Amino acid sequence: MKSKKDNKSKIFSNRPALKNQTKGFLQISFAWLFAIIVGGFILFLAIYASTKIINTEQTSLDAGTAKEIGVLLNPLETGFETGKKNSITLPAETRIYNRCNNNGVFGRQIIKISQKSFDKWTDTNVNVGFSNKYIFSENFVEGKKFFLFSKPFKFPFKVTDLIYLISSDKNYCFVNAPDEIKSELSDLNQENLFTKNCPAKSVKVCFDSKDCNVSVNYGGGYVEKGNETMYFYSDALMYAAIFSEKEIYECQLKRVMQRGEQLTSLYKDKAEFISREGCNSNLDSDLLELGNLENSLSGSENLNNYMINLANNLKKENDLAECKLW
Amino acid sequence: MIQKKAQLKIQQMAFMLIAVTLFFVLVGMFVLTIYVSGLKNSAASLDEKNALLLVTKLANSPEFSCGEAFGNVRTNCIDADKVMMLKEKISQYKRFWDIENVEIRTIYPKSENKECTLENYPNCNILKIREGNITTEYSNFVSLCRKKVFNGEVENKCELAKLMISYNSRK
Repeated sequence: MKSKKDNKSKIFSNRPALKNQTKGFLQISFAWLFAIIVGGFILFLAIYASTKIINTEQTSLDAGTAKEIGVLLNPLETGFETGKKNSITLPAETRIYNRCNNNGVFGRQIIKISQKSFDKWTDTNVNVGFSNKYIFSENFVEGKKFFLFSKPFKFPFKVTDLIYLISSDKNYCFVNAPDEIKSELSDLNQENLFTKNCPAKSVKVCFDSKDCNVSVNYGGGYVEKGNETMYFYSDALMYAAIFSEKEIYECQLKRVMQRGEQLTSLYKDKAEFISREGCNSNLDSDLLELGNLENSLSGSENLNNYMINLANNLKKENDLAECKLW
Repeated sequence: MIQKKAQLKIQQMAFMLIAVTLFFVLVGMFVLTIYVSGLKNSAASLDEKNALLLVTKLANSPEFSCGEAFGNVRTNCIDADKVMMLKEKISQYKRFWDIENVEIRTIYPKSENKECTLENYPNCNILKIREGNITTEYSNFVSLCRKKVFNGEVENKCELAKLMISYNSRK
């Protein structure tokens, strides 16, 4: 038995090289293990930080673009012009999301940008808001080039300029439009708004029939899009209804009326103020009533004849007043 | 002896790793500082651009403009009576134009500097929408009009004025 053990130990003692090789092959020193773990951790941190920086950069770019678009809307404020146009070209394929809320005194216009990067739309949650802008468009407009035009909205005094945002990729064809609309569109000379020789696949806006994408009842003061009806007063709101989604149109209309209410109150105060100089306008009670109606407007269906007549009467009274308020 | 050598190597490695980590942290902080200052600069430049474009258009906005109250529609005409009333309800217009203050200063005919209040109006020449001084100024020339009763007749009185805007500097 002993001799067998001795023989075995002899055999192993004859293979020292093999024993060392096996040990060396498996052995990793603590220093290496430590370096691999910490190095891996540093690499992971570096990759994580780079990804975060790229995302932040994209978010900042989107937010910057949204703010820049808002700033570029300033020149669209009209003086005595009946309309103004402008265009924006962006370096990458972009989606401009149009959002609106009625919180606070004036509500807020919100713009969100998403740009195509590596064939994927960026997802940013940065909303850029403006209180003094009223943009009418679809939920989002997509493209590289965007057309903007603006028209003043008077009710009965100028309340604001309504801005219409359309992608250059979308064409609108106005069929049988009244002469004043045709003439206005031809003066505006915007590349994607047609009154004749309409390109195929353009959005048909009809003024006398219902078999179109958008039907306008110009006399009745409403626009029909699918199953939805939007009521308007004046051409400025008609264009707004044509180019917008109902949800955006209603929200922006409410914001316009919120501003209108503040202006009504401002003119009422002015009337009292200048009356101390012996300058009377006698519009106080009508202004108060209009302000109340503007405050209680909950949707375009509230733009009824009573409200419109009140505004028209105020205009007439102001035109005849000794001291015009506006 | 061998044990001591190994301990020394581990210490060296640990110090090296701390140094490398610190180096990356410092570089990261440096990059972040540059990045944040770049963002602040671009935000400030956008605010500046906004103020620059706004000053040319503010006089035509409904809260300021004359409309047809003084005859035909005029551009860059400010209704002083309306602005006096706007001054009284400016708290409602907080953040409406994203600007800090608006000042309208009559420059012709020249008169002694006096800020307008409800008590001294129209015998004054500085109409400030909010309290405080104008910083980082952008300006535009406008006509400042108001109603005036002279010998029992209502007259329009217009003067040359400067519309100044200051915006919230983010620097």
